[in-house]
Amino acid sequence: MTTTTSFPFPPTYNFPPFFTPQPNSNTRLSQLEKWSSLIQAWCRHHRQYRLSLVDAIDTPLFHNALLRKRLDLAAARDVLDWMTKSEEEGGGGRRAEWLDASTGGNAAPKSVAYIWWRRPEEWADVVADWVENTGQRGAVLTVYELIQGEATVSQDFHGMDNDVMMKTLNILVKRGKIQIFGNEGEEGVKFF
Amino acid sequence: MFFKSLDLTTALRPLLLPDETLLFVQDAVGLYEGKYKIPNYQNGHAYLTSHRVCYVATEDPRKYCVGIDLKEIDRAEYQARFLTSSPKVTIYPKPQNTKNDKSRSTTSSPAIPQQSTLHPLPHTGPSKSPSPKPINATWICPICTFSNPVPSNFDPATATATTNLPPCLACGIKPPFTTILKAAITAAANRDPPLPDASSLAPEDSTLTSKGRRDATTAGSVSCPRCTFVNHPSLIECEICGAPLMPKGAASQLDSGGSRADSPAPFFQQARIVNTEVSESIKLSFRDGGEKTFHERLKDALVQRKWLLQNAPPVPPPAQVTSSPGTPAATALESPQPAAPRVSAVGIAGLEQRGLEARMNNQLVIGNAFEDLEALMASAKQIVALAETLARESGMATNEGSAETNAVLSESVAALGMVTTKDMLSSGSETLYLSELSRNLAEYLTDDRQGILQREGGIMSLIDLWAVFNRSRNGVELVSPSDFQRAAELWEKLKLPVRLRRFKSGLLVVQRYDWSDDKTVRQLQEWMEELRQIPPEEPVPWDWLIFGRAVTAQETAQRFKWSVGVATEELEMAEDRGVLCREEGIEGLRFWGNYIVIPSN
Repeated sequence: MTTTTSFPFPPTYNFPPFFTPQPNSNTRLSQLEKWSSLIQAWCRHHRQYRLSLVDAIDTPLFHNALLRKRLDLAAARDVLDWMTKSEEEGGGGRRAEWLDASTGGNAAPKSVAYIWWRRPEEWADVVADWVENTGQRGAVLTVYELIQGEATVSQDFHGMDNDVMMKTLNILVKRGKIQIFGNEGEEGVKFF
Repeated sequence: MFFKSLDLTTALRPLLLPDETLLFVQDAVGLYEGKYKIPNYQNGHAYLTSHRVCYVATEDPRKYCVGIDLKEIDRAEYQARFLTSSPKVTIYPKPQNTKNDKSRSTTSSPAIPQQSTLHPLPHTGPSKSPSPKPINATWICPICTFSNPVPSNFDPATATATTNLPPCLACGIKPPFTTILKAAITAAANRDPPLPDASSLAPEDSTLTSKGRRDATTAGSVSCPRCTFVNHPSLIECEICGAPLMPKGAASQLDSGGSRADSPAPFFQQARIVNTEVSESIKLSFRDGGEKTFHERLKDALVQRKWLLQNAPPVPPPAQVTSSPGTPAATALESPQPAAPRVSAVGIAGLEQRGLEARMNNQLVIGNAFEDLEALMASAKQIVALAETLARESGMATNEGSAETNAVLSESVAALGMVTTKDMLSSGSETLYLSELSRNLAEYLTDDRQGILQREGGIMSLIDLWAVFNRSRNGVELVSPSDFQRAAELWEKLKLPVRLRRFKSGLLVVQRYDWSDDKTVRQLQEWMEELRQIPPEEPVPWDWLIFGRAVTAQETAQRFKWSVGVATEELEMAEDRGVLCREEGIEGLRFWGNYIVIPSN
């Protein structure tokens, strides 16, 4: 959220009805899709992996100061709810995921969500490709090195949320590409 | 008696003539000529009006509809149900001779005032319209040399050898066709040049151009068309040869008959039976009841002879002395009806005097009208006119806003003649009542004189219509809301030019039949497009070139002249179709073009 470049909002952001939940199902679907892509674009721009609704509700994302229009908390939660569902369920293709009250640290449910501007599976591909391309198969890296190391500065996953990285790595484990060892908080990763 | 073509209204009911009123309606009626059923005329509505008996078939009503003038009807007989035969009302046309006598006495009444007392009803007194066809030609029977009248429906232009000819009245032998044809042509040739001085002799009788009077040297005598003997005017038949004398007004009937024969084309195209002569009788077969009421009302109508009133002058007000002898001003109002010589006065005195006179006149009219029911019927026209002006005046006096409403309401009194009441229908047939009410409503709505729908922007809520319609009935024979709704629901079924529409919220509205949601949507879209062209009055934070401007239900109602309720429903309908989208804000609900779905560039 500390980015200096301003985020380019889509034209619909300046359309007042965009901030009112539409009763027509077709219009509503289109509205949700537009909101979903706006939230994803916003998070990608700001390198944000999780979105706290209470904090974000007053950011320009949900509050158009020019129009004096805002998406209220309930409506924003509806949008995120829709994003968490898969397309088969009539949702937005699991582009978000609510944090459990325990893991999120926040007491209220559905207050913080991961925003998957890249799904964990996609992140896994990105990481695997990077290992492949840099010829590091067989190497051993710590998770800290993956996220914060100098070698990954040019990569999208540099500075990634630790929990998101762990989800990504777990997927790679399941695929048999890596092995994780070490204690919690000091994990190391061996690439095959 | 002829079957005449009918003009139908938008609601497929007979178009009534001025002053004609609807008396009775019955459905499931079949038509017979003589003993035989007429094809295609076996299931329809029979309308009895004060002037006509009309028949409109249920299937293809524009093609199969006919009317018969009551003035050509001699009598009607009732025939009860017998085994499987439905009850029937038989209508007999006026035969030649009796007709002649009747018309004679009727038409000559202005000339001979004492004869008018013989009339059963006062209505018929001053009129001269109901003149039947005269006997204008005779043929000599080659067998017995008896002078027979040529049938009045015999037209030399169209008759052929196969035309049905009546036998000789004396010996009963059918004459050769040429004999009658010659007689008819001779008579027509004699009749054609009208006498120029006939009208000058009797200027009040403009129809007096017949041959019967062409040789008259004085206004009083009548020369016989056959033997030229000059008879006394009060005689009906010639003193010498017994030929019927030409009655007054006969020529006009002949002329109208002639013009009908000249242009038979439009009639024949419509249906076979239109314009055909009914020689014997016609029957109306009532498969679904109602025959008794029909018969009674038909008899009443035949007695009342409302058609005579059409051109009748207003009933002369009786002498002032008899009705209000005590009033001193009454002497000044001896004849208030037409331009009475009035003492001219100027200034306030003149105005006051005129006001006084008007009040006196009103009092007189009202007083006379309520003297007895008969008189009320006679002065109905005046009373209605008076009621209209009174209503208008009171509306002006109370407030400006309601003046227009009052005007509409009082004017619609004129439409009362078209209103179907339960009284007009036999009590049992609820469906008939509803269908007639439904047609009534459709006519009321589509009537261009009132333009109810136009004023409401082509769409009107059913409740508003119910209120307006019942108010136009002036508190008589009001329609219950449930009947009203059921009648409105019949529009679709009866294929009438209006339709009932239910909005999502359950609001029922009335629209023209050809009006659809697509048209409304198109109108709204055009408006939205327009808003993108016009710069907003105040600077707006959004790009109005792309998004245009929001509209409220009020603005929409104003623009399309809808009521706000209807405008809201139409906007929501458009939203439902994805054309518009909504914005809820502190200003209330506003609608935009749907640029959420539509690509906004």
